[in-house]
Amino acid sequence: MNIMVKSKEELLQQLSDCVFEMDDENAADVAKDYIAAGYEALDGVLKGLVDGMNRAGQMYEEEEYFVTDLLVCSDAMYNGLDVLREHLPQETAEGAVNYKCVIGVVEGDTHDIGKNLVRIMLETAGFEMYDLGRDVPLQSFVEKAKDVDAQLICLSTLMTTTMPGMKEVVDILVKEGIRDKVKVMIGGGPLSQAYCNQINADGYAVNATGAVTVAKQLVGMA
Amino acid sequence: MHTIALPRQNIKFSYDIREGKNLLNILVGQQIFIESPCGGRGSCGKCKIKHLGGDLLPLSDDEKECLTPKEIADGIRLACLIYPTGDLEIDIVDQEENHRVLTGGYVPEYEPNPAIRKKTLEIIKPTLEDQTPYELLFAKALGMDQLPWDVLRQITMGEGTYTGIFNKDQLIGIEKGDTRERLYGVAVDIGTTTVVAALIDLRTGDEIDSEAAINAQKNYGQDVLTRITYVLEHGKEGRDQLQTAIVDSLNEMLHTICERQQISPSLIYEIAIAANCTMMHMILGVDPLSIGKAPYAPIFVGAKDVKARDVGLTALSSFGRVYCLPAVSSYIGADIVAGAYVAGLHNRKDKVLFIDIGTNGEIVLSDGERLVSCSCAAGPALEGMNISCGMRAAHGAIEEVYFEKEQGFDLKVIGNKASLGLCGSGIMAAIRELLKHGFVTARGNIVKPEELEAGDPRLPYIDLDGKKRRIRIGEGPHKVLITQGDVRQVQLAKSAILSGFVALVKAMDLTFSDLDEVIVAGQFGAHLSVESLVGTDILPKAVRDKITYIGNSSKTGAYLALMSLETRREMIKLARDFNYLELSVTQGYERLFIECSQFKVK
Repeated sequence: MNIMVKSKEELLQQLSDCVFEMDDENAADVAKDYIAAGYEALDGVLKGLVDGMNRAGQMYEEEEYFVTDLLVCSDAMYNGLDVLREHLPQETAEGAVNYKCVIGVVEGDTHDIGKNLVRIMLETAGFEMYDLGRDVPLQSFVEKAKDVDAQLICLSTLMTTTMPGMKEVVDILVKEGIRDKVKVMIGGGPLSQAYCNQINADGYAVNATGAVTVAKQLVGMA
Repeated sequence: MHTIALPRQNIKFSYDIREGKNLLNILVGQQIFIESPCGGRGSCGKCKIKHLGGDLLPLSDDEKECLTPKEIADGIRLACLIYPTGDLEIDIVDQEENHRVLTGGYVPEYEPNPAIRKKTLEIIKPTLEDQTPYELLFAKALGMDQLPWDVLRQITMGEGTYTGIFNKDQLIGIEKGDTRERLYGVAVDIGTTTVVAALIDLRTGDEIDSEAAINAQKNYGQDVLTRITYVLEHGKEGRDQLQTAIVDSLNEMLHTICERQQISPSLIYEIAIAANCTMMHMILGVDPLSIGKAPYAPIFVGAKDVKARDVGLTALSSFGRVYCLPAVSSYIGADIVAGAYVAGLHNRKDKVLFIDIGTNGEIVLSDGERLVSCSCAAGPALEGMNISCGMRAAHGAIEEVYFEKEQGFDLKVIGNKASLGLCGSGIMAAIRELLKHGFVTARGNIVKPEELEAGDPRLPYIDLDGKKRRIRIGEGPHKVLITQGDVRQVQLAKSAILSGFVALVKAMDLTFSDLDEVIVAGQFGAHLSVESLVGTDILPKAVRDKITYIGNSSKTGAYLALMSLETRREMIKLARDFNYLELSVTQGYERLFIECSQFKVK
């Protein structure tokens, strides 16, 4: 074979581009090439796939990318991640904080495309995500947060009728005496910063990329 | 009487030769509209129809002038120049502007048999020798054993002719004198945004007058979910307020009609209502909360027949009734059952898709045996809301847009005023043109000016607002701009509707080409041309030639329920035959939504 081994930078750029350019078919192959060339998996994730997802998020912010574009980008990212994951170092570095986040669509609502997008963007940003799905009983958010010792709960809904459930989650946290341990971020079509203030949640994000900024602020992630 | 059939539209109606009308006028009388710019004078040659069967007089010289030899060979004729003389079978020829719009509402044939009937009786005054109570005198004259308590309270001492009013077999009222000549009902469609009421003469089935108004519930929220939330936050009081709002609207509308027609409201005996499930709960004062939360089980879906006074409706006879048509589920309401019935889905054997486009897009697919339905949360963008330059269809609203390389944007503005903004049909037309001429890509991006060559006819219309691109379609004192965000709003709505459409077709194991007809219902849908529906990829281009319009089929369904007990029974059966597909939990729905987000118009 006379194929030149590509440089690490070149392959990282390709990984990033696969995600950014919605090339979900080639992402896995590029990831395999990257591993075969003996480069570090963690860099492949952070400087390749995640970089591409961040670029896509930037385009989404600028209205250049549509919601569905981001979903296809994330498909590419996960395809690449499936290859790189097993090569990742087993233990996280000493002293590194593991940011954990419980996310779900509140009870009474089954619309989850928006929530899925936020999960993807937060995952990309380095959060360890616990996705409870849709139509999630309110108590479950609190239980899961206690279980995994999460710093953040993200609540989503598309319907005005199910918004009061968000307040209830906040109230349950208060009642259980752990309100100061967990931050609550809310998002979804009918919501607003005003509603966030009204129910004493900690943050509101207008879209999936905004969610990353707010979430990082809330947990003090650099 | 003879009949005219339009097999492709599944329409058949009878007409009277003796009236000597030309075909165009006969069709218009049936609310079937063909483009006829010259007004039926035989000069423009636009009102083409295809002669499929039945006798017609030979082609006249006037017709020959307007038709090509090929059209003549194909059996094309001009509707305004032919005078039918017997049974006839025709097809309406497709035209750019003519989409077989059956706006006012196509009405299928039915056997008249209203629930409300009148029957006269004679009462001879009791005497000292015969002190038979009035109850028994009336009951005997009506062939009954006794009178309901309600009716007893309407009777006073007297003699002579009376009229008994029956709801099916139930005596509901007695009137003095012979009042059989005056017997009215009202067919009502309660939409989330607008309410339409039509006064019907129950003896003849004629629609005498109608009135439309904005649903006064809008003060409690634009859409059904916001109104349900209002009830959630205000409890019983909120529920009463919403009921009162719609009931007052209806009372007011009926008074307006009665005044205009010089008819006493007491001669209206029944109101038949078609509406979405939330509206039906609200007008009957039933708790709507469960509609707004998964698993979305409503309190009721069945047809209801109640006393109008009990729900606060007063602009009719004191013993008048309200009949509410049956629904299927929280998001497939009586309005859709009514529409599907009017479209003939209960007895058609071909493959028909029925779609009502609005804030929620409801879709029903029949493969001749089974019915499957779904509801798509399209949002209000298609109606011009959440659009930066959106406005309602009033003076100054752009309702149609064309782009020509040389002339730029050509706008049709309601009231011929300077353009102020875009109404729903205008935004659809604009997006259609932007896609057609490559201002917007299949992925929904406004094209970058730096990617166009100098002198490109599109360049002068692309505006920059910082980094963001906008397209300027209207000049003058008010610039009308389409922003990238506007395109995204429409894209979301169209993805929601198209993915519902595709999900149903897949659920039935069909393909687009299997569909025999796609019927577009609703007031709003009637304003969306085939060009706009297909040109924005709300409906796939594969069904372009199969699209027909049925108008406000919800109101027509209410009308049929008023006029015929058989149709009521058939609608109840139809509602039970519906299957419902909950899209948000359908396997692979997200994937489908992604696929449907592309504007596949080329």
